[in-house]
Amino acid sequence: MNNLAKFTIGIFFTLGMAWLAFVVGARSQFGDLVPTSEVLDDDGLVPEDAELFPVAISGMAKQGAEEYAALGCVTCHTQQVRRVEAGFDVERGWGKRPSAPRDYVLQEHVLLGNSRIGPDLANVGLRNYSDEWLHQHLFEPQSIFPSSLCPPSPFLYQQIDEPVITDIKIVSNEVTKETRYVRPTVRANRLVAYLQALKQDYELPEVSFVETEDVSVEEEDVVSTDVSTVSVSAPKWLQDQIDTGKEIYMKASPGGGMCFACHQQNGEGLAGQFPPLAGSDWVLGSKERLIKISMYGLMGEIEVNGVKYNNVMAPPGIPPGSLTDDQIANVLTYIRNDWGNSASAVSAEEVATVRASLKGRAPMQMFTSAELTTPIQ
Amino acid sequence: MPADSPDKVIDRSAKLVFSFFLSSAGLWLLTAALLAYVAAAKLTDPFFLASYEFLTYGKIKVAQANAFVYGWGGNSIFAVSLWILARLSQAEVRGSVFLVVAGVIWNLAITFGLLGIMDGHMSGHEMLEMPTEVWPAMLISYLIITFLALVIHRSRQVRETIAPQWFILAALLWFPALFLIAWNGLEINPARGTLQTVLSMWYGQSLVWLWLTPVALGAAYYLIPAILGRTIDKYYLAIFGFWCIAALAPWSVVHHLEGGPVPMWIPAVGTVMSIAMVFPIAVASTNFHATAFLDIGKVWDSLPLRFVIFGTLSYTVSSYIGVVFSLPAVAKITQFTIINEFHFNQRVYGFFSMIIFGAVYFALPRITGREIPKAAKSFHFWTSTLGVLMLLLAYLIGGLTHGVLAGQPSLPWSSSVIQSIQPYFLITKFAFIILAFSQFVFVVNVWRVIFPNPFVYFSANNKEASV
Ligand code: HEC
Ligand code: HEC
Repeated sequence: MNNLAKFTIGIFFTLGMAWLAFVVGARSQFGDLVPTSEVLDDDGLVPEDAELFPVAISGMAKQGAEEYAALGCVTCHTQQVRRVEAGFDVERGWGKRPSAPRDYVLQEHVLLGNSRIGPDLANVGLRNYSDEWLHQHLFEPQSIFPSSLCPPSPFLYQQIDEPVITDIKIVSNEVTKETRYVRPTVRANRLVAYLQALKQDYELPEVSFVETEDVSVEEEDVVSTDVSTVSVSAPKWLQDQIDTGKEIYMKASPGGGMCFACHQQNGEGLAGQFPPLAGSDWVLGSKERLIKISMYGLMGEIEVNGVKYNNVMAPPGIPPGSLTDDQIANVLTYIRNDWGNSASAVSAEEVATVRASLKGRAPMQMFTSAELTTPIQ
Repeated sequence: MPADSPDKVIDRSAKLVFSFFLSSAGLWLLTAALLAYVAAAKLTDPFFLASYEFLTYGKIKVAQANAFVYGWGGNSIFAVSLWILARLSQAEVRGSVFLVVAGVIWNLAITFGLLGIMDGHMSGHEMLEMPTEVWPAMLISYLIITFLALVIHRSRQVRETIAPQWFILAALLWFPALFLIAWNGLEINPARGTLQTVLSMWYGQSLVWLWLTPVALGAAYYLIPAILGRTIDKYYLAIFGFWCIAALAPWSVVHHLEGGPVPMWIPAVGTVMSIAMVFPIAVASTNFHATAFLDIGKVWDSLPLRFVIFGTLSYTVSSYIGVVFSLPAVAKITQFTIINEFHFNQRVYGFFSMIIFGAVYFALPRITGREIPKAAKSFHFWTSTLGVLMLLLAYLIGGLTHGVLAGQPSLPWSSSVIQSIQPYFLITKFAFIILAFSQFVFVVNVWRVIFPNPFVYFSANNKEASV
């Protein structure tokens, strides 16, 4: 104890032992986990052509993760479903199964957290919240749950006096029913894309879904109307839509959309002429607006991510204006999910609804920005 | 010049650095108190200051913890460690200029770090949220200060070392090791997946266990005998206690990961080691309390000692509670609840800060030659006690409520579970107001003695030096 050098060696030795275990040891044991398939074949190998999990999240969602970290959401929200014997998380319906180390290997920011003033968010993307709902919640959680402690983030939105259909309607849940419209900034869109991407909806060789009697979980499964709850095929239907959509995007013969000719294969457009689709607030915004311009085209001055364009997009499709409901649904789903974009899919039904609402409109009568931004009552 | 006693000479050599670090520590303490209030107020009214992005709850909460640990904790550790080491070595503090320069860098680094957090550059690593740009400045300034502290220790008159020296030196040396390990594992060679969390949690918790805790224990080992004028009862146990902490604490801190997506053995080892921590806790509390209770009247009369004993009692109680809460059956309920706040505040307010207050009240009159009015100290003691107890009880009871209700899946989260702990958030808000007030009194007490007449500080300082 009296010799400083020996003392120093002693105290670093004790610290070093823990370091060896937690840092070096754990790293060599778990540091090289890679995505794998849901089930392994008899030899314990990944079957050929099997889908690998976890899948990487989109570029947009990755940027959202940074916003999430910078805003300190982790001070109140965890992102880990504990093992069944260690907690009530699965029973509460916060996940279909406990989280496993492998779930996080592709994440740059691992935000497990250790405080739950808010609910766990490891699977918030599976709760069937629409983007609109998440925006409302992000802007002012109290407009949804009057007593919520989740902090409002009005600084991620622009207050709008003359709202357009892409804007988010906030009804403050007071008796007054005061209504406001706000427009999400790019940061808000990223954050929402990130929240939507948070899901552990696949099984891994080391963990399978937990069978629960609990109604709340059952209910959640039922609520999700689409096929996505059948976890294996979930990405598949989406992938099908995206693949077909991409074909339409690239096709320059009858039945195609030829979008790439103007917006480019990489979705970046051409400066000053053709606006970008990658990261575009139009593409990630209102579906209704997208559907309208995919049927009728767009002309006049518009603003994409704050940059002005003044050009004409004739009704897309070959021949012009000929895209069917299915084709529009697919191509829009595609552009909303490539080049780092990540937004909900568009279904043929949604397109049909919009088409029906535009019944009287003369064919080929292009939309103008002004027309799309008429205030909604 | 009349021949001063050696202690006087040493105290005088420490005056500049002690005053510098202490007055900076005071400012950080007030900053942290203000931030704590804002964070607590946001939990009672989410719309409070909600439109300012830099004041959003997540940022304020993190900034508060960093201001507290690095600002108040760091500066007060420097002040108290340097002085105690100098006293025990019977050696003067040398290189004051370098110490002050390093201290300025440290404080600037933290200032920029906190501004970085509020400006949206928070990294997600526990207790390392300050942007990486300021890490080198922190490390370098820290190393300069530690180096000069070791210089004092090396020039000691007596070869034999005693408990306060072990604890303080170990803390001073552990910090840069922890910091480098975390830096390497999170930024230089980043670990993938949840290993990141294992490392950052290990760092964050070790910071409390291997940095703040040993300094406070060392100060208590120094102050109790010094004030009571008697030796530590069963002192031969102290060395056992020291090595137990050194060997067990770095393992025990990871039990917070129980049930999470990490290799199962990690929290399991943490739990076992946490339970083993009863030994060092028992040693420290025997040493302190057996000594103190031999002369309880004197403890009560001496305000510095009253602070210290409050701190050591709090250490004992909180550590045992910590052991209980690390048992898996209990952790199932309390994990992720506001009990975490109880642990943190118990350690940094109830234990660390109280002992530092005691050390400061003991050292400052000796160093500056000016007394702090007893009423002012006493007022500080009682407001602190009230604030700390209110805070801890609210977090403890609130945390248990939180855990028990959260464990019933049929209760809706927001409208039932969180609603039920709202009253406790209100209590903590008032507790933070009381604490802020109390800490303001502390800072005024300290500043009045350091800068009796702010406008003629330098000339007055020179005159005294020659008295
Ligand atoms: C003060 C603690 C706190 C902070 C900080 C916080 N939240 Fe929350 N959050 C809550 C609480 C409490 C709820 C439950 C009530 C509700 O749904 O509004 C919640 C609910 C949510 C929900 C709904 C989850 C669900 O499954 O219903 C989302 C999404 C969410 N928060 C996102 C965020 C994001 C994004 C951030 C960071 C900008 C954040 N929260 C920061 C406390 C917090
Ligand atoms: C002939 C070139 C051309 C083709 C082909 C074309 N677009 Fe466009 N697109 C434009 C122009 C020009 C604009 C901007 C119109 C304006 O300034 O009013 C635009 C605007 C858009 C916008 C809104 C602005 C933005 O960047 O988000 C979307 C969405 C869009 N196009 C999607 C598509 C899709 C999907 C296809 C294929 C089905 C397609 N476009 C085919 C030229 C084209």
